[in-house]
Amino acid sequence: MVSPAAYLIVGAILFALGLFGVLARRNALTIFMSVELMLNAANLTFLTFARHPLRGPPSLDGHAIAFFVIAVAAAEAAVGLAVIIAVFRTRGTVEVDALRTLRN
Amino acid sequence: MIHFQAADVAALAPEILLSAGAIVLMVTEVFLRGERRGYQALLTAAFAAAAFEAFAAQSGNPPRAIFGGFAVQDGFATFAGAVVCAGLFATALIGAGFLRPRAAERGEFYALALLAAVGMCLLVRGADLLFVFVALELMSVSTYALVAYLRVGTRPSEASFKYFILGAFSSALFLYGTALCFGATGRTSLSGIAAAGGGRLLLAGLGLILAGLAFKVAAVPFHMWTPDVYEGAPTPVTAFMAVGVKAAAFAVLVRILLSAFGARPFAAAWQPLLEALAVLTMFGGNLLALGQRSVKRMLAYSSVAHAGYLLVAVASTARTGRAAAAAVRGEAVTGLLFSLAAYTATTAGAFAALAAFERLSGSEPQPWDLDRFAGLAKRRPWAAAATAMLMLSLAGIPPSAGFVGKLLVFRAAVDAGLVPLAILGVIASLIGLYYYLRVVVVMYMEPAPAGAPVSPPSWPTDLTLVATAAIVLLIGIGPGPLTAAAAAATGLLGG
Repeated sequence: MVSPAAYLIVGAILFALGLFGVLARRNALTIFMSVELMLNAANLTFLTFARHPLRGPPSLDGHAIAFFVIAVAAAEAAVGLAVIIAVFRTRGTVEVDALRTLRN
Repeated sequence: MIHFQAADVAALAPEILLSAGAIVLMVTEVFLRGERRGYQALLTAAFAAAAFEAFAAQSGNPPRAIFGGFAVQDGFATFAGAVVCAGLFATALIGAGFLRPRAAERGEFYALALLAAVGMCLLVRGADLLFVFVALELMSVSTYALVAYLRVGTRPSEASFKYFILGAFSSALFLYGTALCFGATGRTSLSGIAAAGGGRLLLAGLGLILAGLAFKVAAVPFHMWTPDVYEGAPTPVTAFMAVGVKAAAFAVLVRILLSAFGARPFAAAWQPLLEALAVLTMFGGNLLALGQRSVKRMLAYSSVAHAGYLLVAVASTARTGRAAAAAVRGEAVTGLLFSLAAYTATTAGAFAALAAFERLSGSEPQPWDLDRFAGLAKRRPWAAAATAMLMLSLAGIPPSAGFVGKLLVFRAAVDAGLVPLAILGVIASLIGLYYYLRVVVVMYMEPAPAGAPVSPPSWPTDLTLVATAAIVLLIGIGPGPLTAAAAAATGLLGG
């Protein structure tokens, strides 16, 4: 059996990868995928703690939360992809470096 | 298992009214195909006023948990929710004057604003991190769409993209922080986390939750999106972000800190952190605003600076073992709520002024340049006087609501033993005098440039401008009733 710590570590690594992607990548879609990765890292952590809680009996709360997060992420993706399409239509590119109309 | 009663649904009356308003506006947009769409702004304002009334009707009720402890009905949520509804009311009026000349008056704009307001009202009463997350997303996703609403030129999509990425990023930080808190305590409810206590995992969760909310309130160094997004968004949306999003995010920040992390060891951890954030935000916002020629960007940095003053109030709420801690906490929360209300009135008015004077075409390089305000005292004396009043309030000069708000906040900081923080706050607001008064000087001293285009006056915008200026002045002269209302709203359930 895989220990719960392994799942938590995978979650933390996914979260760190997402964090790195948001901060370092320059392509809008890659940045967006990195944000989704962070949400899924949180989901994995919720599920692990629901199945193997540090204190008390296992509860269904963490599983229910995961469904909420999936629904919210879907709504966010719908609006976010629409925004990225709007950027592409006005500029012909989704590279973040091209977004420089608004600056000091 | 969640058990809930009819009384729980009744407690949500304001949110139900706002949601009904959103549905009504979407349906009328489809079925009323006329050219005249002025009714949409009026309907939105009516629903906002109804929701405000619903909050006012709840103000005397004793605090209680609703929906199995997911949310609460208490004075704090009622006050903050009423502030959000007032912000929505002003936004609808500014929107009416702003969208018609741009031929962009449509139901979805107001429906999205109403839905964002639902998210904000739910956010201020959230007593469970999951509930808070869903409300936060309802508010944020509606706002991303609103920022991109005017599809003219490259500005709106760029602003919306920047807001979306950083907003989604901060939500993810918040969610991972929630997951760590859930792991450490087995709970997501604020009271459950407070009861379980202790542990480094919980502290890490608190740190991530704080970082996520710091993005939403635009605290330095999490503010980089603010000037770009505020500038690129349509002016009524900017006004709504500056008042509604900020008020709701501050309310939930205070509730989480006090209800879940109010105990001594945690307060000792977050208080210095918030003090540092407050100092950075006050000075960062004010110093960056100094060099701005664009009034809209200047107001964006001004909103960052005001987040700093509000953070001073939040830092003063910490329970750190001093005598009379409860009294100091009440004073700090009173100052915060009063400042939120004063800031909402002032900022909504300032953006109404901006909407009244800005150039019609957003594709020009600087539609919000300071020159736009030159000679306004001669051409639009009433609007100029109202704008001057609002600038004085933002600068914190008596008699104005902004002055009383700052006074209450800094006094609470002194009573909480944070004297250096209060002194730094006063210094930061003195820096702010320069750029607020520059707008007044340009309006009254500089002649209008020859051939300057005159913006078409619109009565809803002018009404908002003059009404908010009058409210700000009245609160400044007689702050008693608002202070009493804020003081009565300081009880946090489980706090």
